[in-house]
Amino acid sequence: MTGSGISGSLLARVAALAVVVVFFQIGVVSEVPVFGVNVDLSPLLVAFIGLLCGSTLGAVTGFAVGLLVDLALVQELGVTSLIFTLIGYWSGRLRELRDPQAALTPLLVGAAAAAASLIGYSLMEFMLGVDAPVSLELLRQIVLGIVVDTIAAVPMWLIVRHSLEGALPEDPRRRRRRRAYTTGGLSPLSRS
Amino acid sequence: MYDKTVRRRRAVLALLVVLSLLLLTAYFGEAPDGRLHAVQRDFLTVVSPVQNGANKALKPVRDLFGWFGETLHAKGQRDELLKQVGKLRRELVADQSEKRTYHELLGMFHLDQLSVSDYRPVTATVVDKSPNIWYSTVTIDAGEAAGVRDNDPVINGEGLVGKVAEVASDGAVVDLITDSTMGVSARIGKANATGIVQPKVGEPNDLLLQYLPSTASAVPGEYVVTSGTVASPDDSLYPPGILIGQVTSVNEESAYKSVNVHPVVNLHNLDVVQVLTAGAGTRAANVSSLAASLPAGQSSGTAGEQLASTAAEG
Repeated sequence: MTGSGISGSLLARVAALAVVVVFFQIGVVSEVPVFGVNVDLSPLLVAFIGLLCGSTLGAVTGFAVGLLVDLALVQELGVTSLIFTLIGYWSGRLRELRDPQAALTPLLVGAAAAAASLIGYSLMEFMLGVDAPVSLELLRQIVLGIVVDTIAAVPMWLIVRHSLEGALPEDPRRRRRRRAYTTGGLSPLSRS
Repeated sequence: MYDKTVRRRRAVLALLVVLSLLLLTAYFGEAPDGRLHAVQRDFLTVVSPVQNGANKALKPVRDLFGWFGETLHAKGQRDELLKQVGKLRRELVADQSEKRTYHELLGMFHLDQLSVSDYRPVTATVVDKSPNIWYSTVTIDAGEAAGVRDNDPVINGEGLVGKVAEVASDGAVVDLITDSTMGVSARIGKANATGIVQPKVGEPNDLLLQYLPSTASAVPGEYVVTSGTVASPDDSLYPPGILIGQVTSVNEESAYKSVNVHPVVNLHNLDVVQVLTAGAGTRAANVSSLAASLPAGQSSGTAGEQLASTAAEG
């Protein structure tokens, strides 16, 4: 176990999950269009690892997954890494600051990660000089991409959570909350 | 303790962002044979066999997913194709007699054109595909070892797929015709007018045939095929007559006419492709190198198109 509560077992599971998902993505998922667009599992994976493991591991995973995608697909190195680093960090901060427990959280985080990835990619490509003004078709592709990624977020969340279960870092806030619910002594109502 | 954690978290983020920006800057700053590009090629060489194996193992899964999508489109396609069959049957009868006359004339004037049969086709399986809308590339499992070279044309049973952009020993990356970097010299079947097919800006799945003479006639439904010329010295010399797409609409806003073209190849569902390789010393290789050696600016009459006609050799 490292100082930040991230164990070697967790790192190994995250690394294995990242490699499997990236190769499954580019080998299978990318070749099966849904409503004319491709589901992109990579930003979902990064966001969910951030949501489960915190901002630091989320950012590092984002960087590594982005680099792997850029290397495997012979794309401009650094573009995907930059976007995924920010997605992983942001979702990790969401966990650290809000610790959302609602059932819809994975869906909303997945939608936000997909939107950040697609819009971030578009902005980066515009800045890098790709000749493609904003058109209705492009916007349609982005919106459809967000929709299909959001649909894929639920099974992806279950896979990521199931794969990392048992190796996740302890969360002090969750521990406190559990204690507050289960022991009457800490409840303000019981004190009054 | 809290401050230390916050500082470390921010330092990690800053480090990763700076590293990404450095990679991006270095990648854009270096030549295609630079160190980072070489690392990518090496990575491709290493993972190609793995990707190939994974692709074969996961093919049933891909086929299963693909089956659902294809079934949904099958009915509409069948009705459309039945209409086309009737039309094409009538055209075939007329074309067969024209073809006979054409070959007689070619023989009479000792003309010869480069064709697909002058190339050595290397069959390859698509093992990877880029997932986002900005990169229209696929990775195939044939590389230098099979004779594949940069810029080799790539086709499948339906028509033109793209050209080879990057080669490793056992794999290669193919730019699809919808990639923003592509430009293919093409002509409309009946009008015989030539132009350049490029991806339609902002519509990643469609193409635009540009720089057609304003007098050229084009009607929706006509087929667009490769013209057998190159658009720039580093372009691929596609053999003439390879089907690219079908005209969907015609634009006449400027001095040049342009037509919207829908690719005939289903680029979302590529499985097996053929790379047209030209062995050293063959006729196809000689014509390709002749095309590449022509100085920039030689125009064939259509703007931006550099002439390197494949008929020049005959």
